[in-house]
Amino acid sequence: MTKEYDSNTATFMGVQRKEIPWWPTIDYEKCNFCMECDKFCPHKVFEKHENQEKKLVIVNPYNCVVFCRACSKICEPDALNFPDKKEITALIKNKRNENE
Amino acid sequence: MTKIAVLPCCGINKTLGLITIEIGLKLKELDHSIELISPATLSVDQQRYKEMIQESQVIVIDGCATRCATKLLEKEQYSKVKRIFIPEESKKYEISLGKALIITDEGKKLAERIAKQILEEIKNETKQVKEPIIERDFGKIDYYEVSYDKYYFRVPKEGYYFTENDCWVKPEGEKALLGITDYLQNKSSDILFVELPKIGAQVEQFDEIVNFESVKALLSLLAPVSGEVTAVNGKLEQEPNLLNDDPYEQGWAIELVLADFTEEKELLMDGKNYFAYMKKKIEEEH
Repeated sequence: MTKEYDSNTATFMGVQRKEIPWWPTIDYEKCNFCMECDKFCPHKVFEKHENQEKKLVIVNPYNCVVFCRACSKICEPDALNFPDKKEITALIKNKRNENE
Repeated sequence: MTKIAVLPCCGINKTLGLITIEIGLKLKELDHSIELISPATLSVDQQRYKEMIQESQVIVIDGCATRCATKLLEKEQYSKVKRIFIPEESKKYEISLGKALIITDEGKKLAERIAKQILEEIKNETKQVKEPIIERDFGKIDYYEVSYDKYYFRVPKEGYYFTENDCWVKPEGEKALLGITDYLQNKSSDILFVELPKIGAQVEQFDEIVNFESVKALLSLLAPVSGEVTAVNGKLEQEPNLLNDDPYEQGWAIELVLADFTEEKELLMDGKNYFAYMKKKIEEEH
């Protein structure tokens, strides 16, 4: 049986996953709610809220694989944005140094 | 001259699918010798296009991430493929297709640009003299090995460094080879297409430097180190299965001149640590 990914205990490069702010943000001005990203992402980062104005939301940000941007590649209206990779790398390095 | 055949996904329920039909028709208008493949016919009659697919360069046009056209072609014996993915092209040309199920004037413009771009690229590829493919000698590599269900995983014991995104770097003096691990190739299943960077491209650590596509997924090699690309493994374009069959040796993807390996190494794992990390990840998934 597959165990559920537990973002409370997960780490990335020796840093608590919850200390790394890497996940997509949805630009609702551009998003056309085609839900391709939700269908595509195997990590359940997104969730459909059919009856709400924002029909797509980020529900599990820490399930997102750090540095993965695959969902943004399939987003035709270019509505998914990610943090700056260099800043996140620097943050990971700092956290690792703090933990040493 | 190579024959060209076009396989659009023709998805009628999405604008992204409609645009693939428009591109196919535009290509036919620009060059009458181009053959069109109907995905519906192909799905019920594999004999119909068998020779055409074997003898032509097939332009596969997918509208969305379901990638119906790619999946249909995967069942055929093909020799040369060029892949077009509409969301990527739409972003490249900064033309949005809109929400309505019609092809707008902007959509027609996008279709025309993509069609012209395809023909231009094919023309340039024909002119280009390909670098000879040199087999690399990796010598004898010792591997850690483990099997889970039907999957078999290896990790080189020495000489390679790994990221938690399942990519490797093998430093060789001032240069290094980069590739993907057994975990990533097993996870993605049979790799069908590989998009390699240009020689001279500047790479930063964790950049998506090689994109590849399997029946299951769209994936990237995230560069474990930064540097300037000095060679690419052109063989992968014809034999992408090398990434599945021999990911640590003949399935290498790019060579680069290392920019800052001493510092970047801090965020990498050696073979022993990556093997332990990979096993833990697999066990959590089972």
